[in-house]
Amino acid sequence: MKDKLMFQNAPHVRQSESVVTIMSGVLFALLPIYLMSLFYYGARSLVLGICGAFFCCAFSAIGSLLLREKPVPDLTPIITGLIIPLLMPADIPYYVVISACAVAIFVVKLPFGGTGSNLFNPAAVGFASVAICWPELVFRYPATMQAIEIFGESTAKIAQSPAYSLSFGAVPDYNVLDMLLGSAPGPMGATNILVVAACGIFLIVKKAVNWITPVSFLVPYALLCLAFPRISCSSFDALCFELFSGTIVFGAFFMLTEPVTSPKRDFGKLLAGISSAVVVFLFRYFGGFEIGFASALIVMNVFSPVFDAVCENILHAFRHKDSIIATFKTDRERKKLSGEQAVKIVESKEEKTVSETEPEEPVEIVEEIDLSEKEESGKEAVQ
Amino acid sequence: MSFFVKGIFLEQKKEPMLTRSTLVMRQEFEYFDCDFTDTPVEELSAKQIIELARLAGIVDESDGKMLWEKLEKANLGEGGTLIIDAIDDEPYISSQMSICIHQPEKLALGIELCEKVLSPAKTYIAMYRHILDSNFGIPSKIGKYRVKKIGGRYPAESRVYRHIPKGKNSVIVGACAMLHLARAAEENQKMTSCFVTVAGDVVKNPRNVEVPIGTTAEKILELCGLTEEPEAIILGGSMTGRAIFEPENETVGPTTRGVIALARSYGTYSYTCIGCGRCDHACPKALSVCAMRKFAEAGKLDMLQQYDVSMCIGCGACSYVCPSRIDVSATLLKAKKQIEIAKKEGTL
Repeated sequence: MKDKLMFQNAPHVRQSESVVTIMSGVLFALLPIYLMSLFYYGARSLVLGICGAFFCCAFSAIGSLLLREKPVPDLTPIITGLIIPLLMPADIPYYVVISACAVAIFVVKLPFGGTGSNLFNPAAVGFASVAICWPELVFRYPATMQAIEIFGESTAKIAQSPAYSLSFGAVPDYNVLDMLLGSAPGPMGATNILVVAACGIFLIVKKAVNWITPVSFLVPYALLCLAFPRISCSSFDALCFELFSGTIVFGAFFMLTEPVTSPKRDFGKLLAGISSAVVVFLFRYFGGFEIGFASALIVMNVFSPVFDAVCENILHAFRHKDSIIATFKTDRERKKLSGEQAVKIVESKEEKTVSETEPEEPVEIVEEIDLSEKEESGKEAVQ
Repeated sequence: MSFFVKGIFLEQKKEPMLTRSTLVMRQEFEYFDCDFTDTPVEELSAKQIIELARLAGIVDESDGKMLWEKLEKANLGEGGTLIIDAIDDEPYISSQMSICIHQPEKLALGIELCEKVLSPAKTYIAMYRHILDSNFGIPSKIGKYRVKKIGGRYPAESRVYRHIPKGKNSVIVGACAMLHLARAAEENQKMTSCFVTVAGDVVKNPRNVEVPIGTTAEKILELCGLTEEPEAIILGGSMTGRAIFEPENETVGPTTRGVIALARSYGTYSYTCIGCGRCDHACPKALSVCAMRKFAEAGKLDMLQQYDVSMCIGCGACSYVCPSRIDVSATLLKAKKQIEIAKKEGTL
């Protein structure tokens, strides 16, 4: 009996859910999106996805070799590698995808300490960097329902994407059903709104993703679009065009919800969702590119520790409710007494500030007030 | 208040132990039968009961204090409440609950004696209600005492005090201690045994046993039988107990609640924290666990103090939910101890 015994720390029962199950859930949710792009653009989309996943894994393996760490069987580079091609057109050259993967792994992830320590969303930074380097390739979308050559120069027919039409105030010549089903041109994975939303709901049900993040992003964004329409058509159509063009829905479910770079608490997630809706809106209205989601996300990633700190401060105040109320009360008493009767409360200050349950005793007026000391004792009680 | 969701739901796994009657392990020697008093049970005075508890050496299993000291020091005042602790919110553990169900008369007698000393305005037995994985019904009354069913998420002990009117005192005593008090009064028995739940996925015959204090874990497991060699043997609750390596030398004490044998230890994961924030949501004290773990690993004791690590109760909810299987709770408790030491030395 003795030989097999192992050491383990206190909770001896653990949840069956682990990093592997969460990540494989996300991988499983990305699969239908690839199948839809296979249907619209042919086998090239699948090869792009495999290429992205393979190179991300290879780069992170190289990185762990360079850092002389033991490689961890990790699914996060695969997810990064699968998300990057979905943000791009289906006829994108392979070197663009590979360089986006290289940026995601070598610039965003490894220098900060690998999985779980990155400051920015790797997929967003990878996409944003290649969008700056090759804007003519990244924002040129092929028309749907045509098989694109797997290798070599693409000869696919080019079409104008709804996001581009919106950027100069033109009404896109697609109807809402086209936008929902994904037959409008656009990024490879982000146009099939129905499939993307279904996959997102799958993630929420599986609890890989907190529902607050996508909801708190999409609802304020829709309200903003209703309030400030860019095109002149019925408000419902305008709303649909704004929401379903570009990578808004895909990003809300798959990129904004990345656990590492988003705030930890629900309230922080709510704040982050609302503020990123505003930032994305500003980027799309006044930005240089028609797809501003990735750049806006990078900006918002900077603020997630701030939202965490806000939550912590609120909860800190809740935890020390009693002592804060007590110091507030003594403060008010002091204000009442100040003026003509500059005085001091005789009772031991600490007892009064810490425990609020004691019945209030009549105040005796004896000495002159010492403001600085009083404030110090108040601060101690708060801490 | 969904932003401050606290605690976790656990699979309770209490079923075979709770419905089976308690198995009594024979003692190798006779009971220490003592002649405390000749007074019949009904006529015992408050002082005599305290003396009885002292002579019988009854230890309260819920906090490890001597019962007579607790009874002597307790000052309920007017409108105070006496709470009998039979909560058992940890998985597998059901020793206090099974006493309430299988020996209600004795328990009621013990509570009556305790009431004589404390003279509370209200007395109730607290039991955990959310045993979702079995259709076991908790009785609403034991003897003449009402059972308050405490529901909700895992660390339920803090919610016991919710029913007490504001500004009134309360005393919480364990159910096993009450049983021992009744035995001392009726049968002149000293407290020489304790109630332990023997459970786990490799235990052949899981049930609650009454064993002499000082029995080794190996003997207790032999009594119930093992189907295969366990990888982890735990003394205490499944959430807060400790893993042991030498079952032939580790003995059960009056506060031990269970001996659990598990086929697999949960093992070590090589993953790092992915920052999902589940630990923050699981924490019953609403602490920022995720940030505190990082501070603890970096050794920033001043920041930890600012984040109220001293409020951690060590319930283990954060470690339970962690998808990377990081020992969050153990790290925080260690940091809490370090802070206490640093405060004593005056370096912080």
